Amino acid sequence: MQRAGHVHFSDQTHHVAESPMLLVFDQVTKFYGPVIGVNNITCRIGPGITGLLGANGAGKSTLIKLASGQLRPSQGSVRIGDHSAWSTASKDHLGYSPDINSFYEEMTGREFVYAMARLHGFSRAEARQRTEHVLDEVGMAERGDRRLAGCSHGMRQRIKLAQALVHDPWLLLLDEPLSGIDPGGRREINELLFRLAGQGKTILVSSHILVEIEQLAHSILVMSRGRIIASGTLAEVRNLMQTRPLVVEIVATPTRRLAAMLTENPDVLGVEMRDDKLVVKTRNQQQFFEQFGELVCEHGVDVRRIQSLDTGADAVFDYLQQGRT
Amino acid sequence: MRLLRAWGTLTSLSFGRLLWSSSTLMVLLPLAGCLLFVLRRHYDRPDWSTREFREFSEFMILVFASFVIPICALAFGTASIGGDREDRTLVFLLVRPIPRAMVLLAKFTATLPLVMGLVLGSFWLYCRLAGAAGQVAFPLYLPAVTYMTLAYVGLFHLFAVSFRHATIIALIYALFMEVILGNLPGIVKRVAVNYYGRSIMYAAGEPEGLKPPPADWFEPLSVVTATWTLGGIAVGGILLAAAIFARREYRDLT
Repeated sequence: MQRAGHVHFSDQTHHVAESPMLLVFDQVTKFYGPVIGVNNITCRIGPGITGLLGANGAGKSTLIKLASGQLRPSQGSVRIGDHSAWSTASKDHLGYSPDINSFYEEMTGREFVYAMARLHGFSRAEARQRTEHVLDEVGMAERGDRRLAGCSHGMRQRIKLAQALVHDPWLLLLDEPLSGIDPGGRREINELLFRLAGQGKTILVSSHILVEIEQLAHSILVMSRGRIIASGTLAEVRNLMQTRPLVVEIVATPTRRLAAMLTENPDVLGVEMRDDKLVVKTRNQQQFFEQFGELVCEHGVDVRRIQSLDTGADAVFDYLQQGRT
Repeated sequence: MRLLRAWGTLTSLSFGRLLWSSSTLMVLLPLAGCLLFVLRRHYDRPDWSTREFREFSEFMILVFASFVIPICALAFGTASIGGDREDRTLVFLLVRPIPRAMVLLAKFTATLPLVMGLVLGSFWLYCRLAGAAGQVAFPLYLPAVTYMTLAYVGLFHLFAVSFRHATIIALIYALFMEVILGNLPGIVKRVAVNYYGRSIMYAAGEPEGLKPPPADWFEPLSVVTATWTLGGIAVGGILLAAAIFARREYRDLT
């Protein structure tokens, strides 16, 4: 089982060597009128699963659209192997699962995947064979004759994945592929993606949910405001996130005594009392939680609730963005 | 071979989706309205005269050619690519190894027989129901009806690739440009496709007793010029649409 996606990332201007099995962004900038969608991105994505993480509006969708040839870069180039991503030739190597929930609703899942296979020029027999194979792969072989209009969100996600796989591309671009899928189904899809990565395919998965990406990808690209602000292995990015400041809300007794003890912690920047709650600002969440655990055990503090107030993706990305500037 | 197969699949897929779409219902209404009108007017009187021919011709020119044909063509012409755009299913076509210009041509190829079938089929039916007057009218007006249908389908494909809400814009064009501007005196009527079609139809019907509008107001073009213009609109429209579609980014798909 292969999990490690190969990512090389650079903001610097340099020549990016072409490879037949790489998705290459070379100094790519995309303007939407006066607004920048993505800003001078250079990276190479190789075989394995790479996670593309970012808050809404970070530029993930623009990057995926550029890679799938729906958009052309205003500057720079996007290449799928030896072909420009915009070109027709690149589409033979590309499987794309969009984040939209639109289909030919009147069709069954099987008919839809078969039609997409036929659009790749396969004969009827081969298209049928490929359709059955991918429906089986995504766990829809038994349910493929349901009309798409009547399919659940999870089933529709699987059909989207099936149509992306039906021509056996080496590059898969999956935009939020796990949204709406139940935990069991998510595990199945993850296993399928691990298997495909093991076959040497290049898989780029976008999500705004860190946990989804954590389970799936080893390499991560974190986007914010049109730029890649962090990249590397999961451990590297996670480490960067764990040493960031955090605001924590604690409901515990004795409240006042706990507040006094917390103010003595050098990693605590401030403690505020709100009714029976404490709002604690810490400069390093990893160290804070380690020391807080010891404090609770040592002084017998009764903790009823502890909650991070800024663990959302936006806060993480804001922090990483600050680190970059 | 693979490309041809993919193109053929897209054409037949598009044809099937258009045939079973709401556009079919939309065009059946005016076609049924025309049918009722023709039945009610009893053009098929045994003692038919030039008068019946003239009245039937005026109905064909002013209602069928000037209003029903553009409505049929816009219903399918804008829906062929515009429907995929509105439904956001176009993205599934754009990531297939079919050149974008060929995607558009496949859509055109799927639309044309459908619109031609409905327009020419209903035109034939009305002429049959109109009796002798209709039998005289059918061969006379068939070329003009065919060229107009071609021109409208090409033109509305151009609308579909150029505008987000192509159906609404095409409706405004059909109701405003075609009906109002097409009937104004002077050179302004040349923006209306039906002007060229009517020029051909009046010229074809005149020997059989059809009275064209006053020449100083209508200023008809010669049959050759009008025919070439309609052909030019059809070919130019679809080629321009293909060129635009091949280069255009559709940012609203996902």
